[in-house]
Amino acid sequence: MKIETNEKLLVNVSVVGSVCQPNFQGLPAEPYRLDSNGSPFLLPSWGSIVHNVSIGDSAFGWEADCIHPGVSIKYPSEAGNRGLNILSCVGNEATIMSGEAKNAKGIVTGKSGRFSEQVIVHFPKKIREKISINDKILIKSFGVGLKINNFKDVFCKSLSPQLFVKMNIKNKDKKMVIPVTHIIPEHLIGAGSGLTSESGSLHIQTTDSSEMKKYKLDKLKLGDIIYIENYDSSYQHGFLRNAWAVGIIGQTNGPRAGYGPGITILMSSKKNNAKAKLESSANIINYIKFIK
Amino acid sequence: MIPNLKTNEKSLIKMSIGGYVTQPSFKNPGYIPNNDGNSVILPGMYGVVNNVKVGDKAFGWSGDHIEPGVSIDSENINEHFALHYLVCTGNKAIVRSGEAKGKTGVVTGEHARNLIHFEQNTLEKICVGDQIDIITHGRGLKLLDFLEIEIKKIDPNLLKSMNFKVENKKLIVDVAIELPIKIMGSGAELNSEYVDQDLMSGDRSLMKQLKIDQMKLGDLIVINHADHRWGRSYKKDHVSIALCIHGDSVMTGHGPGIMTIMTGTKKNLGWKINKNANLKNILKIKL
Repeated sequence: MKIETNEKLLVNVSVVGSVCQPNFQGLPAEPYRLDSNGSPFLLPSWGSIVHNVSIGDSAFGWEADCIHPGVSIKYPSEAGNRGLNILSCVGNEATIMSGEAKNAKGIVTGKSGRFSEQVIVHFPKKIREKISINDKILIKSFGVGLKINNFKDVFCKSLSPQLFVKMNIKNKDKKMVIPVTHIIPEHLIGAGSGLTSESGSLHIQTTDSSEMKKYKLDKLKLGDIIYIENYDSSYQHGFLRNAWAVGIIGQTNGPRAGYGPGITILMSSKKNNAKAKLESSANIINYIKFIK
Repeated sequence: MIPNLKTNEKSLIKMSIGGYVTQPSFKNPGYIPNNDGNSVILPGMYGVVNNVKVGDKAFGWSGDHIEPGVSIDSENINEHFALHYLVCTGNKAIVRSGEAKGKTGVVTGEHARNLIHFEQNTLEKICVGDQIDIITHGRGLKLLDFLEIEIKKIDPNLLKSMNFKVENKKLIVDVAIELPIKIMGSGAELNSEYVDQDLMSGDRSLMKQLKIDQMKLGDLIVINHADHRWGRSYKKDHVSIALCIHGDSVMTGHGPGIMTIMTGTKKNLGWKINKNANLKNILKIKL
C-alpha cells in the first residue's frame, strides 16, 4: 500500500551557510588525535571542500578521520547555525550564491555532529575547484514537520519529502517496510548517543573488525540508507528495545574509538512499526538525480 | 624518479583550505639583535616578496628569514593550524579575490605562514588580504614499499617527480647539501608537523667551509642523525630529508629554514649529493 504524507502543509524556508574551513587545535597542544589503539595520527577531518570523495563512494579506506564528501557549510553565529542544521533536510536543493561557481545546484546529503555541526552538500566533482572557501550556499529547506499518514508514531528528522517519496517504502500489515543496505545492531552505535536527533550525526563503532565483517558493515557506502535495531531517535539518540531508526551514511570512517562512519537520522519510532528490507541499491544516488 | 614507486595516493583526501595574503609586520620597535648584539632592522617574513624566489640563493640577502613569493595565513587560530597541518609542498593554489582572481600558483613550503610561488605577472597583481585557496593533497601519504619512512607534507606529484633510486632495499634520495646535526637550531621546540627548523648560520667560517652558504631556496637537504618523526631531535643513524624554505637570519640560533619531508633510518633511507636537487627543477617552476 502506498504511503502518503502531509507534504502539502510543510513550509519551504531559505537558509544559508558558508563553505567552511578545516580546523585544528593550536600549540602547545600537539596536533595528533588518538586512534582506538592509542596511537597518534594526523589526518584530514571534517569541513571544507573535499574534491575526491563523493556520495556513492566507499565509507572505508580513506586516509581520513570522518571526512564529509563534497562541500561542508556552516553559519557564523551559533543560533543561525542551529537554524541551518535543524531546517536543512537530506535531499533538499542547494544553490551556490557567490563566487566562480555561482548558481550551481547541489543536494544536501547529511549533517555532522558535536564539535563540527556542519551541513554536507553534494556538488558535481568537476565544479568543486571553482568553489571557494567562504562562498555562500543557500538551501531551500523543506521537510521539518513531515508526518507519515497512518504512522503517527514515526518521527521524521532531516528528511525531505523529495527523498522520502523515492525510498520505496511500503505499508504492509500496518508496518512500514523500508529498503536499506544494512541492519546495524544497537551495540555498534557510538558517538552521538545522548545528543539531539534533530541535527548532528550518530556514528557506527568500527574498532571490532570481526563485528564489521559479521554485519558486512565494512562494505558501507556513503549515501547508504541503513536501519538501526533497538534504537530510539524520536527526541534524542538512545537505546530502547523494539524501537528503530533509519538513517543515511553521511561521512566516512575514522581511526578514533567510537567514530566510524556517521549517520544522519531520517526516521525513528519507539513502536515496533517498521521492518527493514535488505536491498543493495538503497543508496541516495539511486533515489535522487545526481551529477557525479 | 622511480617508475613503479608504489604509494597510497588513491586513498588520500583532496581538501580545500583558504588563507589570506599577509601584511609585513614588526614588533615595536622593529629592531632585532644580530649575532654580535647589534640592533638591525630588515625586511623578511610575511607579505609578497617580489624579487626573491624558489631557486634563488638562501644567503646574502639584506633581509631576515626572507620568505620567497607570497605568504598566507589566517587570523583564526584553528584555521592557522589547519593550514599548517593540511597544506603540502607542491599543492595547487588558486587566487580567489582581487586583481589576480583565478590565477594559480604552487606551494613551495611552510614557515610560520604557507609560502606560495606565482609567476611574476601574477605576483604584481596580488594584494595583501587577497584570499588564496589551496587544494590540499598529501596528508597521510605513504611509500608502500618503505612504510618505515615517514613522509611529511608533500604533494604526491612532488614525491613522484623527485629523483630516487633503490639500492639494497634502501631508498636513496638526491639532495643538494648535507647539514651536520650540530647546526640544527630554532624549531626544536615545536612538533615536527608544524613549520620548520632553522639551521644555525652563526659560525660563518663553518658555513663557508661546508659550502652551506651556497644553499638555495628550494634545495633538498639531508640531516644525518636527525629523527623528525614526532619532534626534531638527535638520534644516531636516523636520517631526515628536508627542503630549504626561507632565507638566512642574522639572529643567533637562526638561519635558513629547513622543512622536513621524509624521516627514516640508515637502514631504509639514504642520500646522494646532486646540486640540482631543488624544488624549482623538480616542479619545473616558471618564474
